[in-house]
Amino acid sequence: MSVCSAYTTQSLNSTCSISTPAKTHLGFHQKQVVFYRRSSKRGGSGSGSGPCVITCSAGDSQTVVIGLAADSGCGKSTFMRRLTSVFGGAAEPPKGGNPDSNTLISDMTTVICLDDYHSLDRTGRKEKGVTALDPRANDFDLMYEQVKAIKSGVAVDKPIYNHVTGLLDPPELIKPPKILVIEGLHPMFDERVRDLLDFSIYLDISNEVKFAWKIQRDMAERGHSLESIRASIEARKPDFDAYIDPQKKYADAVIEVLPTQLVPDDNEGKVLRVRLIMKEGVKHFSPVYLFDEGSTISWIPCGRKLTCSYPGIKFHYGPDTYFGNEVSILEMDGQFDRLDELIYVESHLSNISTKFYGEVTQQMLKHADFPGSNNGTGLFQTIVGLKIRDLYEQITSGKTAAPLEATKA
Amino acid sequence: MTINAMGGGAKYKGTQMRKKQLSEIIKKKVIEAKQVCEGDETSDECKVAWDEVEEVSQAKADLRLRLEVEKKDPLESFCLENPETEECKVNDD
Repeated sequence: MSVCSAYTTQSLNSTCSISTPAKTHLGFHQKQVVFYRRSSKRGGSGSGSGPCVITCSAGDSQTVVIGLAADSGCGKSTFMRRLTSVFGGAAEPPKGGNPDSNTLISDMTTVICLDDYHSLDRTGRKEKGVTALDPRANDFDLMYEQVKAIKSGVAVDKPIYNHVTGLLDPPELIKPPKILVIEGLHPMFDERVRDLLDFSIYLDISNEVKFAWKIQRDMAERGHSLESIRASIEARKPDFDAYIDPQKKYADAVIEVLPTQLVPDDNEGKVLRVRLIMKEGVKHFSPVYLFDEGSTISWIPCGRKLTCSYPGIKFHYGPDTYFGNEVSILEMDGQFDRLDELIYVESHLSNISTKFYGEVTQQMLKHADFPGSNNGTGLFQTIVGLKIRDLYEQITSGKTAAPLEATKA
Repeated sequence: MTINAMGGGAKYKGTQMRKKQLSEIIKKKVIEAKQVCEGDETSDECKVAWDEVEEVSQAKADLRLRLEVEKKDPLESFCLENPETEECKVNDD
């Protein structure tokens, strides 16, 4: 034999590399095939006559795909930062590429912004009279093809939607990561894409909270006023209700953010009531619970052992139905003011998939300057991050899908 | 958490320019939207106009968040590879 070749069912592009054995190959899910090459009669590429090792991750790859539906921009949201942080390493834009890329890459995860699949750029949408929320502005065929390809270990050239210019820029190469997160307005809109997701999350912000957050976000901008902020939300609402909101019934976990019930007339959206709605029976996902799984619990941790400042913290947990699905809901209303409140709460939650005591608290502290670090949004986003890590580890180690049953008393 | 638009250092000229650019676009688009919606608030044109405002407002906020919370200039890795470009001149401010 005088030729090195490798046969795979997938394209040889960038998931396969050819190198001499001097290089070490790290990582799992890689098939290594060693071919021995005698000196080539054609003069070849000039590299030595030693054996070449070809490593391919196609065919064996297990890219886990997570979908996150959010109306708060993409790839740069707090949720994504917390999620990638759970896996370790900071998420960065692709090095040396388009500085306006929306993609974030860390060791384990790649986060793709679904705006990159806009079929119409800003001018195009204006001409057709459609918002970015409208499915007609998005290429679901391409989204499906590319997510499918990445999931099966094939790199793709993904378009870039530039949010500054409003144009579609030349594509960037996306190599299959261990975990692919697709974030944006429509991760669960198309049924084919939905079927590729190993886990899906919907971030459901109530109108009052949305308004309060957008005021915080935009009031510092000279172009904005309360009226313009309100008008923008109102104008987008019909499309949002028609195209985005209906996705929440498909989500494995919904994080619902509402105004607090602890403080009468709290209009600033500072104290929040956050509900983590978890679907039952999802493969590799066991819902978080308080004290006694499947029962209904109301819990105020503040009292003799724990002193909290106003307005305190209130938890609720219980089974429910959500759009016809059996769910468990864990709810937190209020704020953490001190570290010991957070660790106290963590120690009473079950099925949080931590690897050591205090891991949730540690993650929250690591990002204490992120929005939501003192309330349920940060807490539940962090916990969902840990559940996703657990799901990933289960999938990649091929464990049984049946959740462990807690021993009944 | 209140985000202050005035702070947050942009290390590179390109980022400083983008900040200004986005602010200008936001101002312009808000005025446009108000004009377009004067006739019919429920028209497609009105919807699209406010959607554009939302898009650029979010882009500006993302940039602000990266600069002030993460303290990282988005052009950092680009400028490491292309230090000679206009965009990658270091800001004096």
